[in-house]
Amino acid sequence: MESFLSLVDGFATALTPINLMWSLVGVTLGTLIGILPGIGPALTIALLLPVTRNLDPTGAFIMFAGLYYGAMYGSSTTSILLNTPGESGSIMTAIEGNLMARQGRGAAALSTAAIGSFVAGTLGTLALTFLAPLFVKLALLFGPAEYFSLMILAFTTVSVLLGASKSRGLAALMLGLAFGLVGTDILTGQPRLVFGYPSLLRGIDVVVVAVGLFAVGEALFMASQARLRSAEILPIKGSLFMTREEWRRSWKPWLRGAGIGFPFGALPAGGTEIPTFLSYFLEKKLTKHPEEFGRGAIEGVAGPEAANNAAVAGVLVPLLALGLPTSATAAILLAAFEQYNLQPGPLLFAGNSALVWGLIASLYIGNVMLLVLNLPLVGLWVKLLTIPQPLLYGGILIFSTLGVYSLSNSTFDLVLLFIVGFIGFLMRRHEFPVAPCIIGLILGPFAEAHFRRALSISQGDPSVFVTHPLSAVLLAIAAAVIIVPIVLRRFKHV
Amino acid sequence: MNTKQSIAGAGLAIGLGLVAIASVIGFETMQMRVPPSYARVGPQIFPYIIAIGMALAGGYIAWKSYRGGDDVIDDVEPTDWKNVGIIALGLIAHMNLLRPAGFVPAGLVLFMSVAIAFGSRRYGRDAIVGLFLVMFAYIGFTYGLGLQLPPGILKGLL
Repeated sequence: MESFLSLVDGFATALTPINLMWSLVGVTLGTLIGILPGIGPALTIALLLPVTRNLDPTGAFIMFAGLYYGAMYGSSTTSILLNTPGESGSIMTAIEGNLMARQGRGAAALSTAAIGSFVAGTLGTLALTFLAPLFVKLALLFGPAEYFSLMILAFTTVSVLLGASKSRGLAALMLGLAFGLVGTDILTGQPRLVFGYPSLLRGIDVVVVAVGLFAVGEALFMASQARLRSAEILPIKGSLFMTREEWRRSWKPWLRGAGIGFPFGALPAGGTEIPTFLSYFLEKKLTKHPEEFGRGAIEGVAGPEAANNAAVAGVLVPLLALGLPTSATAAILLAAFEQYNLQPGPLLFAGNSALVWGLIASLYIGNVMLLVLNLPLVGLWVKLLTIPQPLLYGGILIFSTLGVYSLSNSTFDLVLLFIVGFIGFLMRRHEFPVAPCIIGLILGPFAEAHFRRALSISQGDPSVFVTHPLSAVLLAIAAAVIIVPIVLRRFKHV
Repeated sequence: MNTKQSIAGAGLAIGLGLVAIASVIGFETMQMRVPPSYARVGPQIFPYIIAIGMALAGGYIAWKSYRGGDDVIDDVEPTDWKNVGIIALGLIAHMNLLRPAGFVPAGLVLFMSVAIAFGSRRYGRDAIVGLFLVMFAYIGFTYGLGLQLPPGILKGLL
């Protein structure tokens, strides 16, 4: 009931003309970048950070959240028609979706993706509305030791679960944490890892690292791999109005996808990749038309797309209630909160309830806007796919360098961008996951602050992390995430 | 040398590179002079933990690649270093031209380098699109959003 009243207040905030405009800007831009390959929500929000510094935070966050939702809608279009997923959450959609498009059922695939996204996005937002206040109550039990252990759990899961191997995930995480160390230590004012460069004293900006890894690294990688650059755009064939049969085969996967996606998004497991993967294999198991899998089964599009959008809603729960990002985009959103001197968690819900509930209410509105933008107007968006890649990537690098330079009008940041970009290229080439690096960079300083605060409260006694029950449980789960798969593999070999 | 061998060689180099970065972090942290009141929970613990973690991950990757057991990457083409080099040159030219020549010429050079690296040979079309894009960005961001982008040689014209 409490949530419901807050939500009504939230709608009052979200429905003001100015905030409706921010929501529309966000979802439109989100669809655009979701459709365009090579540019995603984490990169776009990072690029918008320097130019939104003076905006009203409520409007800015409504725009950012709309952008995050919109990117998930848009990327399904690229997956289906181009067979190159716009975002990692759409990899599974590409499998059956592209096959459907090849058989002239592209329109039905786009419809089930968009309507499924709407259904799951709305259900996910509903779950967010009622779960976030519960998480806030949980957060009130947390002291520095618990927060530190929670972050250790997040670090462990993102580096173990994402990427091609655990050592790569760990290396990416450590690299991100190391980037986060550079600069002046907050507690003692001492410079760390600045190597005598005064420009490094204020630290390496999140925007530089995100743009370097996502934009420059990606452009270098795509330029180095000629084979990845040729892709055939399939025309939209068939009717956008799904048949009775298609509805009948879609609605259960939508609901199951939403059920899988939301909890996985809320867990510190790296966002959308794992739930979409699970949803695909669940639908493959449960379908009454197993012969169609591998030849364009509608369930294989409906399920993962729903899981994808519900996961995004799930990601917002720990982000808003605990300040814990579980995906790269969420980590950038946490940096946006920092920029406005806002701290997610109980204080945010108590002190900035207009912002939080306005943001949540705007997600319901944004979902409706996205359904309209992505179904009747899909033909317009598809024209974006005809932009030649040389021009697209040229444009991405123009705006990337512009955004990084405008952080503090310094060419030194451009040198850093170049270095991080090359690291990003090597990571992409050798299959190191990027998300642990971004999460480590942004969450690292928070983890260190909580670590040192916990130890100064306990007067240097490190046992606080295991004697506080909540903290001990979190650390035990983190240890289990590492140990259990190893043990299971041993058993399989015997 | 085939692709598989070169990937293994690169894996070894990346692993050793991570160990090298970890040593630099560890060494720099040792050089810090910390007031004794902070000695117990000071600013050095975290860097040491990160250095150790990175050295372990890097060492493991290097060892695996050396032993040939790192078969994660299977279906990539050999890297076209020429195209990587063209974009790298474009970025270096951009950062050096930005202040003296201005946002528009520097941006155009970067745009052209990326277009060429992506295989475009329609220089005329690329130059026109690129010029429109950087001019639009310059005017939009300086007049619309109040950013200060260097005007360079076009000072007073735009």
